[in-house]
Amino acid sequence: MLSRLALHAAGALAPALKNAAPLAPGVLQASRIFHTASPHLAPLPPLPEHGGKIRHGLIPEEFFGFMYPKTGVTGPYVLGTGLILYLLSKEIYVITADTVAAMTTLGLFIYVVKKYGPSIASFADKLREDQLGQAEGLKQASLKGISDAIELEKKQQALVAKRHYLFDVQRNNIAMTLEVFYRERLHKVYTEVKNRLDYHIAKQNMMRRKEQEHMISWVENHVMKSISAQEVSHFWHVW
Amino acid sequence: MAGRKLALKAIDWAAFGEIIPKNQKAIANALKSHNEYLTNRLTALPEKPQVINWAYYKQNIAKPGLVDEFEKKYNELKIPVPEDKYTALVDAEEQEDAKFGAELVKASNARIAELQKDMDKIKNIIPFEQMTVEDLNQAFPHTRLDKKNYPYWPHQPIENL
Repeated sequence: MLSRLALHAAGALAPALKNAAPLAPGVLQASRIFHTASPHLAPLPPLPEHGGKIRHGLIPEEFFGFMYPKTGVTGPYVLGTGLILYLLSKEIYVITADTVAAMTTLGLFIYVVKKYGPSIASFADKLREDQLGQAEGLKQASLKGISDAIELEKKQQALVAKRHYLFDVQRNNIAMTLEVFYRERLHKVYTEVKNRLDYHIAKQNMMRRKEQEHMISWVENHVMKSISAQEVSHFWHVW
Repeated sequence: MAGRKLALKAIDWAAFGEIIPKNQKAIANALKSHNEYLTNRLTALPEKPQVINWAYYKQNIAKPGLVDEFEKKYNELKIPVPEDKYTALVDAEEQEDAKFGAELVKASNARIAELQKDMDKIKNIIPFEQMTVEDLNQAFPHTRLDKKNYPYWPHQPIENL
């Protein structure tokens, strides 16, 4: 991000810098235009994965390419050697104790970067991967929550379609109650009429039985009376 | 006095159980048991009453004309079908309920449309590799740190870290 800020500044300060094409840093030659055109690229196109090519960690390839037509492959190296010898011989650069310190520091620095650089880079990459994974998980969780809510709404709509069963049960109950009452009335009429007819029959039977008994007892009484008046005297006479 | 045809709708008791909310389960169970009680009573009562054996009574009852009179009156007697005042009430309730249900469905559909819109919005965000923090806060508003209420880092209550 800091590199982007630096490039912001560079682009803002000197639009003409864009035209100094060969010596500009390789990044500017990517397809990003800062503050010179209206910002109609949104989202911003992604940063290029690698920066411009660099030789010996310091000097851009464009420098070598610039010198190649005139001086061939060895040109820049010869220029570099000459420059260094010139600085040393004319004592424009003075060798002091600091030179030794600087050289050892630089050497150590380069050694450490070369040895542990890749592992630290992969560690940083993993951190970024984790962040991206978290964000992705956030997005998936949101999507799942929403689709679950939609499912719930659909299920509730399906339930609404079944509400008529409640009223069906009530109507069935009413119809059945009425039918039960009606049938009970029919049966009641039958039993009442049958009771009355049976009553008549029972009464008749009872009357007949009572008449029979009464007649029997009347006949018995008369027989007993007639016996006692006539037969007793005859009986005693026989005896 | 012939029996009438009884038009009963078939009930899906599983669906009936589903639509009852929890706080009305007791009433619904009472309704169901009443329904079963009525069904049992209905099956216990035959549709037509037994036929009276007029010939036997005509033979055995001495008084002439009694049996004939009874028979005539019995056959003329028509039991009124009990009138149905309550189905109309149930129908009226069902109409209201249908309206209510339609409103529910409409509201539910509106909610579904909103949810669908949200889902499309989330599906269409730019890939995370190209997002800045501002883009993230735009896409997921709950990730935005509240710099007004918590002006100092970490801009959120410590417990949330």
